[in-house]
Parts: sequence; structure tokens; C-alpha cells
Amino acid sequence: MLKLLDSLFNPKSIALIGAAHSEKKLGGIVLKNLLQYKGKVYPVNPKYSELMGVKAYPSVEEIDSTIDLAIIMRPASEVVELLKQLSGRTKIVIVVTSGFSEVGASQLQNEVKEAGREAGVRILGPNCMGLYNPYAGIDTFFLPTDRLLRPGKGNVAMVSQSGAVISCLMSAMKSANVGVSKAVTYGNAVDIDESDLFEYLANDAQTDVVISYIESVGDGRKFIDRAKMVSKRKPLIILKAGKSQTGQTAAFSHTGRLAGRYEVFRSILKQFGIREAANMDDFIDSAKAVSYQRPSRGSRVLIVTNGGGSGVLATDECMRQEFDVMKLPKQKAAELREMFPPFYGINNPLDLTGQVTDEDYLTVLNKLRDDYDGFLIIALPNVLGITEKLAPLLAEFKDSYKKPVVVHVAESGITAKLVALIEQTRVPVYPSPERAVRALKALLD
Amino acid sequence: MKVQHDLLKALAEKREGNGVLLEHEVKGLLRGLGIAVPEGIFVSKVQADRLSKLVNIPYPLVAKVSSSTIISKSEVKGVRLGIKNEDELKKSAAELLDLNGAEGVLIEQMQPKGLEVITGGIIDEQFGPVVMFGLGGVFVELFKDVSFALAPLKREDALWLIKQIKGYRLLEGYRGEPPVDIDSLVNILVTVSELISSGFVKEIDLNPVALYPGGAVVLDAKVSLAP
Repeated sequence: MLKLLDSLFNPKSIALIGAAHSEKKLGGIVLKNLLQYKGKVYPVNPKYSELMGVKAYPSVEEIDSTIDLAIIMRPASEVVELLKQLSGRTKIVIVVTSGFSEVGASQLQNEVKEAGREAGVRILGPNCMGLYNPYAGIDTFFLPTDRLLRPGKGNVAMVSQSGAVISCLMSAMKSANVGVSKAVTYGNAVDIDESDLFEYLANDAQTDVVISYIESVGDGRKFIDRAKMVSKRKPLIILKAGKSQTGQTAAFSHTGRLAGRYEVFRSILKQFGIREAANMDDFIDSAKAVSYQRPSRGSRVLIVTNGGGSGVLATDECMRQEFDVMKLPKQKAAELREMFPPFYGINNPLDLTGQVTDEDYLTVLNKLRDDYDGFLIIALPNVLGITEKLAPLLAEFKDSYKKPVVVHVAESGITAKLVALIEQTRVPVYPSPERAVRALKALLD
Repeated sequence: MKVQHDLLKALAEKREGNGVLLEHEVKGLLRGLGIAVPEGIFVSKVQADRLSKLVNIPYPLVAKVSSSTIISKSEVKGVRLGIKNEDELKKSAAELLDLNGAEGVLIEQMQPKGLEVITGGIIDEQFGPVVMFGLGGVFVELFKDVSFALAPLKREDALWLIKQIKGYRLLEGYRGEPPVDIDSLVNILVTVSELISSGFVKEIDLNPVALYPGGAVVLDAKVSLAP
């Protein structure tokens, strides 16, 4: 399976069945995207001898070289025949085409599955957007690049049952300054499923973090096995949709009536220590945190703020996340008291007030770095004491001490600039104290 | 579990209709697996006239209708608690045997009040055998304070499952109550896990299980066998 999926993620040649001449057509968008690709592309379209400057083929049967990966973008009714033609020519195919079980055409979907098996061709999809691998220059997403923003190279692999969700995640990762190692959708999963992809990504050197959007799993035991494989080696975050589905009302037992699909799923993830995101925000925020920094252990959190109220909000969320917002050690509190003006609040949260300077944050962090497991910095930059210099100071602390540091920067005239500078140093910034705390939770599991 | 597999197999082979075992069959099975159940006797419809001779259990007693078609005994008023003497016993049994679908009555010794929990097992569509644990009574109905785990469970998995519910503190002894016997509860969960993983059982419910400082007793039990 690993070798097979390597042809999916790192093919040396691709046949695009249903390539088009214009970006007004989906087959044209994908062909345009694949022009960036360094391997060989074979556009297949019987109406053209050349598309976007590349030689086109009337059918895959006319291509006389090996094809590592085929992509089918033709109507549902043609897919079975196209799979037959691919027999012996490639081992793996992405079926982008929709119009199968998601619209009730389960019979046709079964025929596709069967045709793939008979042809000896493994299938990703159907009804999927395929994959994005910035390292290999592969992009089969049929959405224009000026609309669907593509994140750059990075360490997060995104696995999604839904194409719509991955398209949202792509842009969200770009805005969150998170790079991606692979993004892959598997749609109706007639063959290759999330478990297979997990196994590959667990072994993928470019991937440090795996995030996965799931609606349902086919084989729950295999899923748990592969999810465990990933989470032993790197952070895995799952977002499960379909939480409102209830239990089997006609069940004989009470257990059966209580066993909603989601309740069972959630319990089992917990049983095996696999992290579940609460919602889309948490999914993206946590992914950013574990992409930027390596998770570690512990529950003692220090909050350093220049606004009392924001510190209290952060403390409340820390309580909900079962963090220990432990008091400062007496001796160090006394030392800090000597160093700072009398109106600074030398507690946890530590309140640097409106008189704050950038350097104050580093002073506090250096003083208390051995006493806590994670650090939450709150900066309200409506005061002149907070400047762009805060970014290198926080980076200095993070790089010299390797403990999780997350930041909440409140809205202000300099926020966009400041956030960009801080995030360049791989310290994640969040727009609310609560989101920053939850992101810290992802780093201190 | 080998012997029990044989027993399950024997029960499976003699099963009729919907594969639902009678309560005394389930309790016999549990007793054989080392799980505490109340002292009790099953009196079939044809034995009803010899009821007083058959029942040799100290009062107070509980009488319950036995039927493979009655899914909820409480819904048909199929349970009589706190039976104090022979007259009450006869009257209760007669009423219960009159219920639609009654195959007999189960007469058991009434148990002291304990902390009630629920456990059970199902074959989940995605995950296969799964065990559930939760607080019983109003907690399960109203708050659904239950959690699930993939079977089979080792003892430490069962302990983990017990600790997942919000009401776990009640088990540890809350507001002056003594802590309950977690070890006995673990035994029960591991047994449920073995039964649901055996391949013979489709659904199992032990509801309620009464927990005491020294022990745990399964008060009611249901099993439907795999087709």
C-alpha cells in the first residue's frame, strides 16, 4: 500500500483524462495547475491534438509510456469503460467525477468499484478533488488559483472526506501561515480510505502533523489501528461531522438506544488518546499550534498580559481546559516585585498593565520559565509600549527554551503587522484569549 | 470463557423466535461467570400452582414477569417489589402470569438499595463489539451520562471506562457515602466485554447493576443472541 500511495503522492507521470483547453472548464483548471508539475503530463481528450501547449492523446490507450497516476474527470457514465482502458497501464487512479452514491446511484458506484478491481487499478474517490502536493508540484483541485488559495510547502497533511471542507481548509491554512505537506480528499471511498492514507502519512517524512475531517468510517477497527499508528509518531487531529445522529431507536437494549454513532466514535477516540477537535475553529487553531511547535506535556500555565480583563477570560478558559493556573513561586514573585513598578500585578495572570514595554514580557518569561509547562502571552497593542519588537523577543524565548508559547494579540491598528511578524517566528497568534488557550491545550496534551 | 462459550452455544441452539433469552437464563449465565445476581427461581406458567412449594427464599421478594417478547417490563407493570408474605407472592405471580406474552415469573430476593449503574454491549456498525457504562436511573435517562469503549476490555480498559462518566465521583463516595466496590464492577464490565465479543451475543444490557461498598449485584439483565 505504501508503494502504491507513493505513486499517488509522488508520481513521475500523470494522465489527465478529460483535460480541457480552457480554464472555464474543470478539466482545463486542473491541466493548468499541472503545468507546474515537473513530471510528465499526458492530457487525454479525443477532440484535440494539443492542449495548453502540451501534446494531447485521444485515449489512454494511445499513450505508449508508463503512467504512474491517472485522473478521471469525465461523466459518471463513462468511468467504468475508462477504468477498463486503464488496466495494465496504471496502478492507481483518482476518480474526480461525482454522481454516484452521494446522489443515490449506488449501483453505478458498485460497478466502478468492481471495474477497478477487475482492471487491477486502485481508486481514490469517486466524488473527490484528489490531491495537492506542493513538494511535487501536483494540484488536482479543480478550483481556480485566484479563488482557492493554495498554502505553501509545510509540515501539515490534510485528509478530508469532503472536497468542500478541504477547499475551506486550504485557504484557512494559508491565512494561518501554515504550510502543507499534502492535502488529499477521498470522497466516496470505494477503495482507498482514510486508514490507508493515515498509514502513508504516518511514514511520510515531510509530514509532522496530520489533520483529518471525517463524516463516517467504513472499517472502524482498521481506522483506530491506523489512527494509533499516526498518533504514536506525530500529532493527529480529527474533526468528526455528523454529531447529531442519534442511536438506534428500535434497539432491543438500552445500550443500543444510547449508542449514537457519534457518541461511540467520540468515546473510542478518547479511549485511544486520539485528539478530536471540538469544531472547525478548534481544528484550524490546533493544527496551526502543532504545526508551529512540538507538543509537550504538563498542565501548569503562566498567563502574561497587559490587560486585566483579557487575563481573566484566559484564566476562565484555562479552568475549562483543566489547566493549572498556578500561583507564582514566592521568591520569584518577590524578585519581580523589585524589578517592576508597584502597580504591575505580580500574580498569575501577570498583569503588566498599560505601562507595559515589550521587554517586560521577556523579563517575566525568563524569570519563570522553569516553573510552568506552557506560556500564554496576551498583548493589547492599543498602548504605545507594545511594538513590533515584541516578535523577536518572544522568538528568543521560544527558541532558547522549547516550551509551548502561544499568543493572543487583540485588534488594533498594528495587529496585522504584529501577527505576521510573530507568526514568522513560529509562535502562533489567535484573535481571542479563549482560542489561544485552546491552542495551548493542543500543545500540552 | 470456554465453558461459557459452550453454554452460549447451547442457548443459541435452543433459541426460538427472536433470540431473546429469558432473564433467569441470562442470570444463570452470569452466575456461572462469577457475577453476583440475586438468589432467585424461575417459575413457569405450568408450575404456577406449586409456587409456594418452589419458592424457598427469605422475604422480602421481588417478582418479575418472564417473557422473550416483553422488551420493557416496567412499561407493562411487570415488576412487583417488596413482597412480604406468601399471600402477596401468590397475588403478584397471578397478576404477572396474566400479562400478554408471560412465559413465567422470576422470583428473587429483594436487594438492599445500592448505587445503580448500567452497562451493556452492542455490535456497532462501524466498530464492532462495543461496551457501554453509565450511571443508572435518572442519570442515564435524563443526562445520558454514559461512555463507550471498544471491546475486548482488559481490566485497565474497564477502569478507564468507569472513570469516563461525569458522575464518577459518586462511585468514589460522595458527601459521606462510602465508596463502592470498583473491583467487582470491573469484573462485570470485563464479562460484558467477553460476552459481546463472543460472536454469540447481539445485544446485552445489565440494567441496573447495584453497587455496594463490598460487591456488586446485577438486578436485571437482558440478552439477545446473534442471528
